[in-house]
Amino acid sequence: MSTSALHADHHTHDHHHKESFISKYVFSMDHKMISKQFLITGIIMGIVGMGMSLLFRLQLAWPDEQFGLLEMLLGKWAVDGKLDPNFYMGLVTIHGTIMVFYVLTAGLSGTFSNLLIPLQLGARDMASPFMNMLSYWFFLASSVVLLISVGVETGPASGGWTVYPPLSALEKAMPGSGLGMTLWLVAIALFIISALLGGINYISTVLNQRTKGMSMNRMPLTIWAFFFTAILGLLSFPVLLGAALFLIFDRSFGTSFYLSDIFLEGVGALENVGGSPVLYQHLFWFLGHPEVYIILMPALGITSEVISTNARKPIFGYTAMIISLMGISVLSFIVWGHHMFITGMNPFLGSVFMILTLIIAVPSAVKAFNYLTTLWRGNLRYTPAMLFSIGLVSFFISGGLTGIYLGNAAMDIQLHDSYFVVAHFHLVMGSAAIFGMFAGIYHWFPRMYGRMMNNTLGYFHFWITFITAYLVFFPMHFMGLAGVPRRYYQFTLVEDFNIWMDVNKLITVSAIVAGFAQLLFLYNFFVSIFRGKKAEQNPWQSNTLEWTSPMDVRLHGNWPHELPTVYRGPYEYSRPDRESDFFPQNEEDANAPEVLHVEEKEVVKEEAPVENSVFFAAIKRVFGLSR
Amino acid sequence: MENRTVKKVKDPAPLVPPAKFNLWLFMLASCMLFAAFVSAYIVARPDAEAKQLWTSFDLPIYFFYSLIISILSSVTIQMATNAAKKDELARNKGLIAVTLVLSVLFCYSQYLGWSRLVMQDLTFVNARPEHISASYVWVITVLHFVHILGGIILLLIAQVKSFRLDIHKKQITFMSITNTYWHFVGLLWFILYLFLYFAR
Repeated sequence: MSTSALHADHHTHDHHHKESFISKYVFSMDHKMISKQFLITGIIMGIVGMGMSLLFRLQLAWPDEQFGLLEMLLGKWAVDGKLDPNFYMGLVTIHGTIMVFYVLTAGLSGTFSNLLIPLQLGARDMASPFMNMLSYWFFLASSVVLLISVGVETGPASGGWTVYPPLSALEKAMPGSGLGMTLWLVAIALFIISALLGGINYISTVLNQRTKGMSMNRMPLTIWAFFFTAILGLLSFPVLLGAALFLIFDRSFGTSFYLSDIFLEGVGALENVGGSPVLYQHLFWFLGHPEVYIILMPALGITSEVISTNARKPIFGYTAMIISLMGISVLSFIVWGHHMFITGMNPFLGSVFMILTLIIAVPSAVKAFNYLTTLWRGNLRYTPAMLFSIGLVSFFISGGLTGIYLGNAAMDIQLHDSYFVVAHFHLVMGSAAIFGMFAGIYHWFPRMYGRMMNNTLGYFHFWITFITAYLVFFPMHFMGLAGVPRRYYQFTLVEDFNIWMDVNKLITVSAIVAGFAQLLFLYNFFVSIFRGKKAEQNPWQSNTLEWTSPMDVRLHGNWPHELPTVYRGPYEYSRPDRESDFFPQNEEDANAPEVLHVEEKEVVKEEAPVENSVFFAAIKRVFGLSR
Repeated sequence: MENRTVKKVKDPAPLVPPAKFNLWLFMLASCMLFAAFVSAYIVARPDAEAKQLWTSFDLPIYFFYSLIISILSSVTIQMATNAAKKDELARNKGLIAVTLVLSVLFCYSQYLGWSRLVMQDLTFVNARPEHISASYVWVITVLHFVHILGGIILLLIAQVKSFRLDIHKKQITFMSITNTYWHFVGLLWFILYLFLYFAR
């Protein structure tokens, strides 16, 4: 496509007057529709993932009980109403995979990056709407393949969501390493393609398609968070693809990248020699660690936006927030070894990974303090979105603190693969990120559907979820400290662990209550789409550009007229010189002193003619030197 | 709201054509994929050597010929792009054709290199246990080849466009994308070849 054709394209594709059902709802290239597709697929995957966790929680709380319901539901995987151990492992694996990749990566950053990047930056659509559409369809295909893998004869992949070889590399190692594992790898390969297609678009749009006046230092923190998230994904997902390819070759072609000296069912050694299973762990965790920030950072960005808007205060330390996101992003690439302290790693290397890991506490603490200081003496509006954001801050602190324990190589010897780890990451990554996602849904629901969600149901949803999340995950710390290992089918044969039976019951009951609380959310969400109160323009009195686009029609192109021009940063709430307590980014300041006015004009004046090559101009643009 | 469609307005064009920007990011991602393989090679090697399961072997000379071909084709595609920038359309057409021929030669040379590997029993699935090193060479070269195939598709489209007079001074984006990508796969082969040559 040539430059001019491309631009002509850019101008004309917005003018389709009538869209068919297919092009509007199914193969849509409108970023707003794609974001809804991501959200609803993510919610469906979330229901499946949470349902699975309830099934295996039942097993952990009442290992000897027989549940007729389970047999009805699972057939041969729960003969006499007792969960099959292999299927238990499969449930744990698929629960982890779904939650990490399908809900909190695609469902969270897929939804909100798609919705907000063009809207908050003042762009008509993503850099490549077509790639964006592909990204969703690869994601959907991947979801379908993963769900199919749960139903195959030999059961789903069951080596844990990290699928370490050699367990996952040899079909005979256990039932779940058969077809289920193959489908898992296919699903993940499709998922990686989807993540890369999406990520390329997000970065490209942020750097290249901001509206007039929207310099980098006027971008909302949501955009900064999505931007860094996309960079992490772009750099780390290809490495996971490499790891998965090696695993596919080992499984299906007979190579030995990860295999050596294997004895299987007393027969051995197999012909595969020379590889190393630890190599897989290196490759996997090079993605795996950035992945936890891919999950968390969009939630942090959403929280910044929601807290600032609902505290009616500028975010405390805008630049510090960006720098800490940057710090977290850089550090996330050089700490993967802390997942591997007990693989026989050189202790010196271990201590390097340990120190780097502990340094992450610094930017994280900066973020936590900035949230608290933004809330401090704010004019707080407790909308459901605000409550969920505050909930995120709570989980971020309580779950983050235990990260300091786990990051210590010496303590990890005791805590590794215990329930302490489960407690840690479910609080800091699971609960915090899902609360960020809920905050985002409640906050931008009017933007997506033009209607409001019910607040009362939102409050019930928040409080029940918040309390039960702590009831589920907090006791796990103590189990982990006492040495209870994760991923075990049942503990009744280990006398020492019998004292935890009551705690396990408490956790399971809390989890079931939490599950019911999500039904409130589902009811609220789906009913509000059709019956919710019509939203007025800019219902939260927010500053950012997405609320300037018309609320009552879905417009491919976002703004009916010219793109908005930006005159100031996104968080100018409660300015003393103004009557209203917010100041939209696109509103010209009529009362501003002439000098300031000129300055503002200066900043937003047209791009100087490009003298250098396009590349240098782009570099300038990236660092905010031009515009 | 009355206004259901976007009025015809002239938005300021993005500084870099979006397709080009996306290509840069794709190249970055693909660098990370090869970085993963190269570092896997570096990490796996001492381990396998300790078990005496690593064979050092000379790369087939054909891989070096491929390197020469890829450098030549980089020169021709650059000349083709320069010609298009100067509106010398016939020259542009011809040079794209030359690049296409060179790209096919590249494929053939890679094929000969792989045949040589097979003749030496250095197969992808190890014929002998100590040949784990061969698997790495296969993965790296074949995945590079996949990237080359992508480049050839771009070249073919560029050739068709050049015949349709769709590439000229004012419509240079596709040509320059093809140019950038072809340089990228060439450079990639240069680096991978040097790596495999010196780290064998």
